[in-house]
Amino acid sequence: MAVSFMSTSDPLIDVTGLGKWYGGRSVVADVSLRLGAGEMIGLVGANGGGKTTTLRMIAGLLRPDSGAGRVMGEDIGDPKRDCRAHIGYMAQRLALYPDLTVLENLQFRASVHGVTNQRIEEIAQTYGIIDVLPQRFGTLSGGWARRVQFAATVLHAPRLLLLDEPTAGLDPATRQDIWHWLERLSGQGHAIILATHDLVEAERLPRILLYHQGRASEAMTPAALIEAMGALNLEEAVIARARSLQA
Amino acid sequence: MSAVAGILAVARVELQRLLRSRMSFTLLLVVPALQVLLFGYAIRPTASSVSVAIAAPSADSGSRVAEALARQTGLRVVAKGLKPGAAEAMVREQKALIGVEVPEARGFGEIGFVQKPLRIVVDAANASLTAAAVPRIEAAYWREISERADVAGNGPGLKIERLYNQDSRADWTFLPSLIGVTVMISMIMLGSLSLAREREGGTWEALLGMPLRPIEVMTGKLLPYAVLGLAQGISVLGIGVALFDLPMRGSVGALIALIPMFALAHLVLGYAISARAATQLAALQGAVAFYLPAMLLSGFLYPFETLPDWARALGQCFPLTHFIKASQGALLRGDTAAQVLANGLPMLVFLVVVAALALFAHARRLD
Repeated sequence: MAVSFMSTSDPLIDVTGLGKWYGGRSVVADVSLRLGAGEMIGLVGANGGGKTTTLRMIAGLLRPDSGAGRVMGEDIGDPKRDCRAHIGYMAQRLALYPDLTVLENLQFRASVHGVTNQRIEEIAQTYGIIDVLPQRFGTLSGGWARRVQFAATVLHAPRLLLLDEPTAGLDPATRQDIWHWLERLSGQGHAIILATHDLVEAERLPRILLYHQGRASEAMTPAALIEAMGALNLEEAVIARARSLQA
Repeated sequence: MSAVAGILAVARVELQRLLRSRMSFTLLLVVPALQVLLFGYAIRPTASSVSVAIAAPSADSGSRVAEALARQTGLRVVAKGLKPGAAEAMVREQKALIGVEVPEARGFGEIGFVQKPLRIVVDAANASLTAAAVPRIEAAYWREISERADVAGNGPGLKIERLYNQDSRADWTFLPSLIGVTVMISMIMLGSLSLAREREGGTWEALLGMPLRPIEVMTGKLLPYAVLGLAQGISVLGIGVALFDLPMRGSVGALIALIPMFALAHLVLGYAISARAATQLAALQGAVAFYLPAMLLSGFLYPFETLPDWARALGQCFPLTHFIKASQGALLRGDTAAQVLANGLPMLVFLVVVAALALFAHARRLD
């Protein structure tokens, strides 16, 4: 089923019918999405539902096997290098060099994106990582590593943020911080797509796409889904929705 | 961002990582130093350790044979005056590599009354060692015969002139080649690990998401290693000159100028392997699959001229083959810069081909 989330602003993402197959098996089918500046949407669903694959296709890391559209004005099937300069992609797996210090990791990203040292200081201050700048990334705890990775992702002030499970496995305080940052970035005009399987957190999102076995079934507010399913919370609503789809 | 800025950014981070890695430093500095010392001091494929046992019907004839062999270099008589058959037994018991069985009660080269030939029993399981020793025994035999027949001084004799390596020093044979072998192994290993390490470490996905072209990533990642390869090659050369009196008769500057291209050729090949290898282990296996044939077919382990035609044709494909020629030319034969640099052309062709393969293999995406 084709689903669209229609944005009122100029779309940074405008794709329809995205699909991806691995070994003859469909992992993502018929996903459509339209997202403008300052908008935030969550890709919500169980592990293996196709959320990461969708993010990777939008980031230009995977070529869609079907569908079409544009991301940051570029063809999603053949994005240009400049397009990547405006995207901040945070993978689920920690993706900084463990043998380098936090500062060296940030300096590398800054060099690639043509960002000044002043911006590194600014970002370190904003995300509270000043104290760990001289520390090797590989020696950080999970929470600190995720904070640093988040800071590295937004270092070049990308217009579009693609975040894959940014709060997975974190303590409540760090989760709170990340959600606070996301809301602030959204308010500043950054478009954000966030994949999560945490349905409690997903209730904080203004809009969600529900993933079930590779299909994004619909886009709506969490409150609308809860009401439609007659549930008490999003978790109950999503489970009820999944059962109804299976039936 | 310009392409140069992208390359420099990747090169800087690669250099930082290299400087942090003890394993890389071991590979780049310690292993080559050990190789030079090992090949220079320990591995000298002369016949000096070939043990010979002599069996003769009388102690006198055994002693005469031993005296004749003692005049030949590289043979070590471990037993003489044994009873007939005992020398062969020592070879079969692995107590000697060669056994000399004198059939009659006479000297080594005594002529007349010969009913049975002198029997030389050789442990050919170690053919490369004994092959060099047998001609020495034959020479001793014929010399003894000519002396006893009093014809030794009648001919004009032989005057052997050994060019480039007058004393036939084994270390001088190995060390020029070893510069290339050391750089080749290190560079192909480092190139092979480059992308595979990123992929296993999870940083590959982030690197792909950055606004960098494949050629910028490749150049940036490999440039620091090429510089280190140059330093490594110069170090091996320096150790060879300092410790083993390796001569520098030709254009050593031209040889040094070839090292970065030689290093890059193997780095890029390693990178191409790495781009397709799923894991670091698979990448290393790919590297070994290349450098073992290169060592066998380049003239490093066996003289290039002794290889069959097909093997020589294949050997021409390896940059190491040409580097060895350049190195021997620059150090031993006294080649000019033009002669040394001419060996760089096949290396350049190899570099261009593998660079095209590497860029083709370099995934722009995760799929």
